[in-house]
Amino acid sequence: MSAPLLTCGGLTMRFDGLVALDGLDIEVAKGETVGLVGPNGSGKTTFFNVVTGLYKPSAGSVLLDARDLFAKPPQMIGRAGVARTFQRSRLMLDQSVFDNIVVGALCRLDLGLLTNLFRRRRWSDELGLMFERARALAQRFNPVIADRLFQPAGSFTMIDRRRIEICRALIGTPRLLLLDEPSAGMTHDETRQLMDDLLAFRQEMPDLAVILVEHEMDVIRRVSDRCVVLNFGRKIFEGSFDALIANPDVQTAYLGVSQ
Amino acid sequence: MMSSIPSPIPVLSPLRMQRHPRAVVALMVVLLFAGGGLMMHAESQIQVLGLLAAFLAVFAIADRTPLGQEISAMCGDYGGFANGVAFVCALSLIAVFHGEHYTLLMLATVALFSTACIALNLQLAFAGIANFAGAAFFVLGSYTAAVLTAYTEVPHLMILMVAGLVTGATGVILLLPVLRTRGHYAALVTIAFGLLLRSLLEVNDTLGGPQGMKIKGFSAFGLDFNLISSIGPWDVSFYLPYAVLSISIFAVAFTLIRRIERSWIGIALDTVRCDETAASVFGLSIARWKVVAFLIGNAVIGVAGALYGMMNGFVTPNGSGLGDSLLMLSIIVLGGLGNFWGAVVAAMVILVIPEKLQAIQEYRLLIFALLVLAILLFRPSGILPRPIRDLSRFIGRPGADA
Repeated sequence: MSAPLLTCGGLTMRFDGLVALDGLDIEVAKGETVGLVGPNGSGKTTFFNVVTGLYKPSAGSVLLDARDLFAKPPQMIGRAGVARTFQRSRLMLDQSVFDNIVVGALCRLDLGLLTNLFRRRRWSDELGLMFERARALAQRFNPVIADRLFQPAGSFTMIDRRRIEICRALIGTPRLLLLDEPSAGMTHDETRQLMDDLLAFRQEMPDLAVILVEHEMDVIRRVSDRCVVLNFGRKIFEGSFDALIANPDVQTAYLGVSQ
Repeated sequence: MMSSIPSPIPVLSPLRMQRHPRAVVALMVVLLFAGGGLMMHAESQIQVLGLLAAFLAVFAIADRTPLGQEISAMCGDYGGFANGVAFVCALSLIAVFHGEHYTLLMLATVALFSTACIALNLQLAFAGIANFAGAAFFVLGSYTAAVLTAYTEVPHLMILMVAGLVTGATGVILLLPVLRTRGHYAALVTIAFGLLLRSLLEVNDTLGGPQGMKIKGFSAFGLDFNLISSIGPWDVSFYLPYAVLSISIFAVAFTLIRRIERSWIGIALDTVRCDETAASVFGLSIARWKVVAFLIGNAVIGVAGALYGMMNGFVTPNGSGLGDSLLMLSIIVLGGLGNFWGAVVAAMVILVIPEKLQAIQEYRLLIFALLVLAILLFRPSGILPRPIRDLSRFIGRPGADA
């Protein structure tokens, strides 16, 4: 295996007395899907927040392609190719689907005042390009979204909103995608559809590395190549899904100590 | 799916209307401006009340009936065209009332306050910065003009720009220290700035103290605006050139901020306002966009304030208080956050109607308060809500709109 895309070493995050991440080591290779599981409060979302620069870790390092992610201001992390979705949908519901999706690529677009205000032809060319990309992405998930790109995001169902969020994360062509409980709040049917979506775009973007946080074990089983289990901010297991199911530590973490 | 089925009641939407959308839009804009012009011109209370009733009726029709909604939608689709017609209409109003001091003064005042309110929209409705010192920046613009006309020979067009630079830079200096914070600190800083500026102006003798300063009239292109009394064979009010310049400044600010809204920058600002977390995850610098919006907004307010001061010939610290700033904010809330024409309508309501209806003058603040409360309760997105940004019309058509 070549050098990993993401390398986290000794990652520690303390909030006053609370230790949310405790010396976490995680590596993710290019094109790999890692399922991240663990009970509530075990540090999964904190891990995402650290990797996307929302929190500065108390100790440890995060390397993307062997470069330190925290050497630069937080907004540079998005530009370095890390994108994510959120556990609770974070879309601008009054704005159009297109506006929401294009946010994921904004930092790579020409944001200069000159272009946006006066060189409207150049801007419009870029707009056309982004429109095609947004439409192609949306089409892959649900043609209805692609047809209604200029309708408010709030007019879509929960699963379509989640898809719009994934489109937003993908449009900037990230190298690492963090999915925070994509199935949260969905019915069984919707979860299955979403799983099919994930598998489909995994195949189309073989180089993209994905970390998936999920409580739905079915999703983890079908989608991930490798699983990591967290408990109290520590890695208690790493390996295949089948090994995970059989692992006694994992069972204890989830179900408590057997009497 | 429902919308693709043709409406079973086509009676109210004659085909002819759809075939000439531009004509319909132009007619609407002309009617609205004619009404607005009459309102500024009207002297008898009956006329004013009649016009007010007519406006309410037009608004109700546009808002509630299918025909009205169709025409409103048309005006939205042909927004750029409608704005062009509006500019011509405003100039026509000036031509019609060429000799009337008071009407032209009112028109210019509405244009300049609307300009400031559009700038506040950029800050509040797009970037999410509540600026409680709008009036203070406006007055700061006037004082800049006062000082520069009194002590220097800087050309007056340049003075407008310098005033913009001064207010823009002042705003940025205020904002920089609180950029790291979230929440309402920026709003608090603007409140403090407004109070401080007012006290400073009142005690500073070089700036005229509580009496304020005189400001020389505007002159450019070899024309002293205050001395103009005729153009060709027509006798005109000296407010006429001010009205033309005010409308032009309004048009420039409108176009500029509209283009900001309908560009990547507009999306960046909305993202920063709606969700700082998402914005920073997707690589947007929150500080940068807040500074940009605050800077441009205050610069525009300063330019409007400078011209307003030069038109009136004097400036006092009085207009810079928190009350005046709140009035400006209530104009944009009333008009609809993010809707520029809404701000113009609300500026008319707040500036013109009390002048015209003597009966309510004493109670104007009370009535505004009730009006704002009523709007917040029953129509929270304002008289004219902000339309969704539809960039599809710009794909392959960079010149569309704005």
